[in-house]
Amino acid sequence: MKYAVALAGSFLVAILATSVMPYVKVLGVAPDLVLIFAVCWAMIRGQGEALVVVPMAGLLRDLTTSDPVGTSMLALSPIVLLAVIRELRPVESDFLPTLAVVAIASLAYAVVSMAVLTAIGDDVPWGTGMLRVALPSMLVNPLFTVLIYSPMRWLTTRPKRESFGVGSAVQL
Amino acid sequence: MRLLWWTLAVMSLSLFSILLSENRTLDPLQNLSLTIAAPMENGLRDIADPISGFFRGIFSRGDLVRENERLREELERLQIETAATEDAQRRLQELEEALGVKENRPDDVFVVADVIAQDPSGFKRALAIDRGSKDGLDEGMVVLSKSGSLVGVVSLVYEEFAWLRLISDPNNAVNIAVLTGGEEGSEARGVAVGDLRSRLSLEMLPTEAQIQEGDLVITSGLGGNYPRTLLLGSVTSVEEKPQALSKRATMEPAADLSSLDTVLIITNFRPARLEGP
Repeated sequence: MKYAVALAGSFLVAILATSVMPYVKVLGVAPDLVLIFAVCWAMIRGQGEALVVVPMAGLLRDLTTSDPVGTSMLALSPIVLLAVIRELRPVESDFLPTLAVVAIASLAYAVVSMAVLTAIGDDVPWGTGMLRVALPSMLVNPLFTVLIYSPMRWLTTRPKRESFGVGSAVQL
Repeated sequence: MRLLWWTLAVMSLSLFSILLSENRTLDPLQNLSLTIAAPMENGLRDIADPISGFFRGIFSRGDLVRENERLREELERLQIETAATEDAQRRLQELEEALGVKENRPDDVFVVADVIAQDPSGFKRALAIDRGSKDGLDEGMVVLSKSGSLVGVVSLVYEEFAWLRLISDPNNAVNIAVLTGGEEGSEARGVAVGDLRSRLSLEMLPTEAQIQEGDLVITSGLGGNYPRTLLLGSVTSVEEKPQALSKRATMEPAADLSSLDTVLIITNFRPARLEGP
């Protein structure tokens, strides 16, 4: 069930990324909702689930863009490694490490994407790309993280309804 | 250990997928995903228009933005008329000089397409449209705005959908001519290159060319990949370097590339890159 929810969520943010987000440019870049979704899932739900959800989100993103299939899957994979910060708990809050991971993952995503595009023969201006895309996205993506983090955190931590034993029809 | 195996598996799967994708093996899958996503993307793009106004309005007043868009459309229309007039005069002169040479280019045939999505990657300037190979589209075909200025080329074609590469994409290079408006209606030829900014770089222009801000930029037709005299935009700045081998300038596209909703694809013009040897 949780992976079905992740699939639906990934698909929704992938659609939003190609339809709505190009209109929401800040500092010249559109926030990357798929990346933010993948980071939030990894930081809230844990590294174990991220092993499945991160490649799934990358695949859905690739299928809705002009990038070769596999590009985002590869470029988002550092998120799973970065999610180890969750286990280290450097600060009491979960949100601040999430912001840090979003920023670092944005840079990693940009570098891997540019490397893949260069490898397949596209003309990628690395200097301009770093200056006008990678660095601004390190600031812009964390700004929009709260939009996904908050509802995901609420859905994950809300109290579950208890029942009087297995199979009982009576619920509190 | 589990992470190591996972990393190796994801890397292998990704690289294998990229290879398959480059061989066009996964085209049906991508066509299917766009078929599923297109209705939702269309609806969301309609909703996104006011959002766009809001975000632009953060930095500038909304009525100024609307006025700017209206003036820009008007300017594009007038620029096209001016370019057509100037080119017609020069063309007449050329035809008079080369009497007997017959112009045999047929009238253009267009396919109208709606933009359904925009590539979110910051490293590309690409749009998805709701027309594909079943509508006669082929890679390399030339794409115009509603007003008739050049906006890009078809870069990827699926059965029912296609991706366009805009002229502002770093992979796009167009042979252009700047109508310098000199005494004899002269033109300076060069190449327009996209570089991820909203403006394009004009390179390899002759050093002696008298280029000024506002000069119109049109396709030169050299190379055979674009028809002649399609408007691209106008010169916004000129870089003067006395020791340079060629002159550089920047231009602003006539069409607002960030808000295209309908485009025209010329289907009867066969770019040189599509023709066999």
